[in-house]
Amino acid sequence: MSDGTHALEKKFWEIFQKQDKHKITEFQSFMDKFAVNFNLYKDGHFIERSLPFDAIPRIIPNQEFAKIEKGLQQRIHTLNLFLEDLYTDAKIVKDGVIPEVFVHQAKGFLKEFVGFSPSQKIRTHINGIDLVKDTETDEWVILEDNLRVPSGASYPLSIRDTYRKIYPEFFEQMKIAPIKYYPSYLSNAMDYVSCGGINVVLSPGRFNSAYYEHSYLAKKMGAELVRASELTVENKKLYFKNYDGKLIKVGAVYRRLDDDFLDPKFFNPESLIGVPGIIEAYLAGNVAIMNAIGNGVADDKGIYYFVPKMIEYYLGEKPIMHNAPTYLPYFEKDKKYVFDNLDKLVVKDVAEAGGYGVMFGHTMSKIQLEDLKTLINANPRRFIAQELIEFYDEKCYIEDELQPRKADLRAYVVMGEEIKVWPSGLTRYAMDEGNYLVNSSQGGGFKDTWVEEA
Amino acid sequence: MNHRITANVASNLYWLGRHLERIEVLLIETLQAYDQIIDVYPNAGKKVFTKLGVELGYKNASEFMSEAVFGDHNANIQVLMAHARENAIISRAHLDFEAFGEIIQLHHLCEHASKSAESTSYLFIDDALSLIDEIWGGLLRREQHKTGDYFIQLGKSIEKVDFHLRLGGAITQTQEWLAEIDSITAVLAPNTTFNTIELSEPYSVIEAVNDKINHIVQGEQ
Repeated sequence: MSDGTHALEKKFWEIFQKQDKHKITEFQSFMDKFAVNFNLYKDGHFIERSLPFDAIPRIIPNQEFAKIEKGLQQRIHTLNLFLEDLYTDAKIVKDGVIPEVFVHQAKGFLKEFVGFSPSQKIRTHINGIDLVKDTETDEWVILEDNLRVPSGASYPLSIRDTYRKIYPEFFEQMKIAPIKYYPSYLSNAMDYVSCGGINVVLSPGRFNSAYYEHSYLAKKMGAELVRASELTVENKKLYFKNYDGKLIKVGAVYRRLDDDFLDPKFFNPESLIGVPGIIEAYLAGNVAIMNAIGNGVADDKGIYYFVPKMIEYYLGEKPIMHNAPTYLPYFEKDKKYVFDNLDKLVVKDVAEAGGYGVMFGHTMSKIQLEDLKTLINANPRRFIAQELIEFYDEKCYIEDELQPRKADLRAYVVMGEEIKVWPSGLTRYAMDEGNYLVNSSQGGGFKDTWVEEA
Repeated sequence: MNHRITANVASNLYWLGRHLERIEVLLIETLQAYDQIIDVYPNAGKKVFTKLGVELGYKNASEFMSEAVFGDHNANIQVLMAHARENAIISRAHLDFEAFGEIIQLHHLCEHASKSAESTSYLFIDDALSLIDEIWGGLLRREQHKTGDYFIQLGKSIEKVDFHLRLGGAITQTQEWLAEIDSITAVLAPNTTFNTIELSEPYSVIEAVNDKINHIVQGEQ
């Protein structure tokens, strides 16, 4: 919670003082009882564990969220236009806004899909945008776009119901926006792009880290949860295999696996979790896949650099929300700045995610910094550098006391006929004080996010 | 009724029904044998478990309880519960929310009981049976049944027949359950005609009812 305490925050603390803190253990009991898990593989072993949860919510005043909402709608609208353009006319490249080589070297750019336009020309159906609130400017800053398979929405959804039961006083006395509509955002988006047939959530299966989420969202959306072997392609159409042998046409797939694994006939032939032939059905316009194939190019951290320019290019507008100040060593001028200030910057590998490939200059020795310069020189396109954003700590209730932890916010934006910004999100906090890595895969926990109702 | 359900989920729901029923009956039989071992018939436990293909060794009622519930054999409750939990996790999108939570709770209870005491307390069985009662209520209480509910009920009924016959019960007493199985199969496989089950020999009855699920669920499970 930021220090610029808002009236709603004051109300929270006022109510919090009067609450029985022992009841906080009920959150863990709930997650244990209902196996609300985010699983891990460690040393080759599958470990079922719940995601650490902190009971102190992040609270966002309505006016602040209104700006986030507008900013993210603008950004997703733009990124969708960018992807559609890139895979069809590529005007943005022809007009020199983004260097061609920059696009073609992006790991997620799939040239095989050039010329294909998906149902309703929508590619960015479900998006997770990572934000932090800068202590210097007091503004929210965008750190990362996740336009492939962003996960995490089920955790605040699950915990909110429990929160209301354990501590109803907060919800009786504070105006907090309800969040239960998220599954309907998803199903509406699926229905909008559907090519006729049922909706399914395609999961790699029981041993995926986010299987709980797959199962939870499928149930709440009224879609069928399936593994690849439960789908089949005939005559370029995708079918759900019912228990009795009947085939039921699938109109839209919310896939929870990466492009590389989606179709062993098209991508990685060793994929056991993909559906052979699904790409053929997709390219024939017989099934919608969300998110669209090839979105990885927009997740490339090098492309992120160009999003403000894209907004101006496609919409003729100034960006409502800003990126963290970012430098591309690919450009000589930026490289000089990066090398001169490497000990103060954060360097990121453009193709990594989940907190991997992130290097904090201030924690590195001189030798390590020199090694990093050598790496950057060898392949400048592979890295970006950003100013270290001092983002607000959130108070966490740890070991019976309030302790500060760095926390970001993953905001969820769903695009169907309209662009909906969910009035909540996944607030992720770092396990240790002073640590900037908040990712779940790095051991981080989560908080509920309360947006003041308009 | 929504008939959409994959073969894998159908199979897991069916086995969830079977595993839960098996656990319930095993716990009831164990409790009854325990009572007899105390001062009526010391070999009561051996008699029951021999029929299930399990040779139990024990010196007294307490030892029997521990061996019966958590011994190293096929009827180990914790192992059966681990299977039931797995069935539930795979099929949770089709399960009642509270019932799912109670299944996970029952698994925790079994795990805790198997580790926490040298001897197994009858209280554990009481607690487990209460939870199972709640689970059945949650799983099968819907006024309008969904396809998944029928698979659970089918597993439960088939396990009832199977267990009853394994314990040497009269074939004629299975008629009510067999009728229930027939009514469920009529819903799940309305276009399939099954052979009438001959009530002559226990093995053929078990074979016939087990065979039904193979006809109802087609494809990879």
